[in-house]
Amino acid sequence: MNGDDLIRSARFRKEREADWRRLEQLVMAAESRGLQHMDFAETRDLASLYRQATTSLAIAREISLDKALLGYLEALTARAYLCVYAPQQRLGGLIERFFTRSAPQAMRRSWLYILLGFLCMALGTLAGYLLYFENNDWFYVFMPSELSGGRGPDATTESLRDSIYGHDTGSTGLGAFATYLFSHNTRIAIFVFGLGVFACAPAILLTFYNGLILGAFVAVHVDRGLGPDIAGWLSVHGVTELSAICIACGGGLQLGAALLFPGDRTRAEALRLAGRDAVKLALVAALMLIVAAVLEGFARQLINETGPRLAIGWGVGALWLAWFCLAGRERS
Amino acid sequence: MFRRWKESRRALPSPDTLMPPEGVPLTLPIAGVGVRLAAQITDIIITTIAAVCLVILLLVTNLTSPQTMVAVGALLFFLIRIPYYVCAEIAWNGQTLGKRLMKIKVVSHDGGPLTAHALVLRNLMKEAEIFLPGTLLLTLDAATPLESLASLVWVLTALLIPVFNRYRRRLGDMMAGTHVIHLPVPVLLKDLASEAPRPLQNAKKIVFLAHQLDHYGAFELQTLETLLRNQGTPPGSVSATQRDATITAIVEKIRKKIGYADPVPPADRLRFLQAFYNAQREHLEQRQLFGDRRENKHYAKGDAET
Repeated sequence: MNGDDLIRSARFRKEREADWRRLEQLVMAAESRGLQHMDFAETRDLASLYRQATTSLAIAREISLDKALLGYLEALTARAYLCVYAPQQRLGGLIERFFTRSAPQAMRRSWLYILLGFLCMALGTLAGYLLYFENNDWFYVFMPSELSGGRGPDATTESLRDSIYGHDTGSTGLGAFATYLFSHNTRIAIFVFGLGVFACAPAILLTFYNGLILGAFVAVHVDRGLGPDIAGWLSVHGVTELSAICIACGGGLQLGAALLFPGDRTRAEALRLAGRDAVKLALVAALMLIVAAVLEGFARQLINETGPRLAIGWGVGALWLAWFCLAGRERS
Repeated sequence: MFRRWKESRRALPSPDTLMPPEGVPLTLPIAGVGVRLAAQITDIIITTIAAVCLVILLLVTNLTSPQTMVAVGALLFFLIRIPYYVCAEIAWNGQTLGKRLMKIKVVSHDGGPLTAHALVLRNLMKEAEIFLPGTLLLTLDAATPLESLASLVWVLTALLIPVFNRYRRRLGDMMAGTHVIHLPVPVLLKDLASEAPRPLQNAKKIVFLAHQLDHYGAFELQTLETLLRNQGTPPGSVSATQRDATITAIVEKIRKKIGYADPVPPADRLRFLQAFYNAQREHLEQRQLFGDRRENKHYAKGDAET
């Protein structure tokens, strides 16, 4: 069959079909192997064939009524577009960049929100502490029963001391690590971040409430003269863990603020901008929670002195602070 | 006011089209909520299986005791799930295994490359949007109706956002600046017009006159194309007789409409349709070149009204 007896659009297709097939092969190769691993000649061909194919598509839309041809060209150019203009990012240095630059920079950029998070927690703690001394019954209002584990205004001083220094119930190591990670505080941290997105108020309330629990809990022990001991017991992991909650709260607040007060931008755009830092805060909080889990699962079981407990807790806290404050500054 | 809202929506360009620097609009169809849900379920099944296998391994090697098994299992599911989504989407440029099966893909909303930041963000938000309130719903009981209700509302809000969104974007998609598309599959079928009908020895060539080709538009032509492409695929006897009946009816209808005088013998029916397709396509494409687009057979009425 020669080309002369074909109609115009069929001739058009016949002349270009080989190029389209070649482009199809190159697109498949680029998708499976990645552009970085292709030859120079192949990538050059990919780019130029893609441009030819878009031209073909434009012409075919004008002159051809062949549905199969139009569908093929639409799909082929769209696939080729994604290869040419949306290539796969290189992954090298991703984790290193997060630790050395982007995470501490994000922390510093959103210091105000993190401060707000800490403020919520601190106010809650203060309120819980004072309310307890006003009336012991407040403890039962704040504290979920499964969390107190028998520790409360009714417990004897001895049993309180035991639960601080006693070798905890059987589970150590991996089991404690796991049960811990799903403990109250992790859930709180994830919730304050998640709720922050939907609106600020629930995140603030939840952080404040968590502070209330903490304040009442500390107050019980201070009331019995166990102040330094509970400080040591809490410090081991609490410094890291409570900071993680506050940071997660800060991230949530940032998103909630973007949603509530987008300024001149659309809400979706404001969310996108706020998300850049908020996600890093969430990742930092997650990292801190895992470290806290290790500290609680292992360090607290092994060390039974208040002094070393304080030193470990606040030492780790200082390390976090140093990372946030010192890492990733641009040299001028 | 409702009508104005509707009109302003219609004025927007279709969400499926994307304008590349070449200036030829491309089509990247937005993936619906259903297909994404299916991909999601596939992924959940995969990660659950992985977590269960690991728990069994831990139990066999005595690294964990039955008391802490549930906690360890939940932890593993959690620790497998989040990196799985992020790593899979980074490694396969916006596709997890479930998305690969469903042939959908995450693309950046502005058409540029996908950043690792965007992929981490959209998958972390998946936790906050779906999994957390979801697990909360599952673990809560009737004793705490307020919390159940709150998490139900939470899940529903998260699920409804994509439904009321032109690009079917989740909250996480909005924050990451991405959306999900159907990955188009290029399949080039044979050109019907190039398979010229082979005239039998004694049969004369079927010829159509210009006025006979003025009745139909592009829609009818492409419907005919679909019909012709589906010929010969199912050889079953029942469907074959059905098909013959359809073709007979269509041939008669076309003959009556265009005023084709000669009767078409049963053996020639497909050949007739094929010849008609070629002639009609040539005619319509020629008209189109002169700016006379004929969308369907009602093209003339539209002209008369305006």
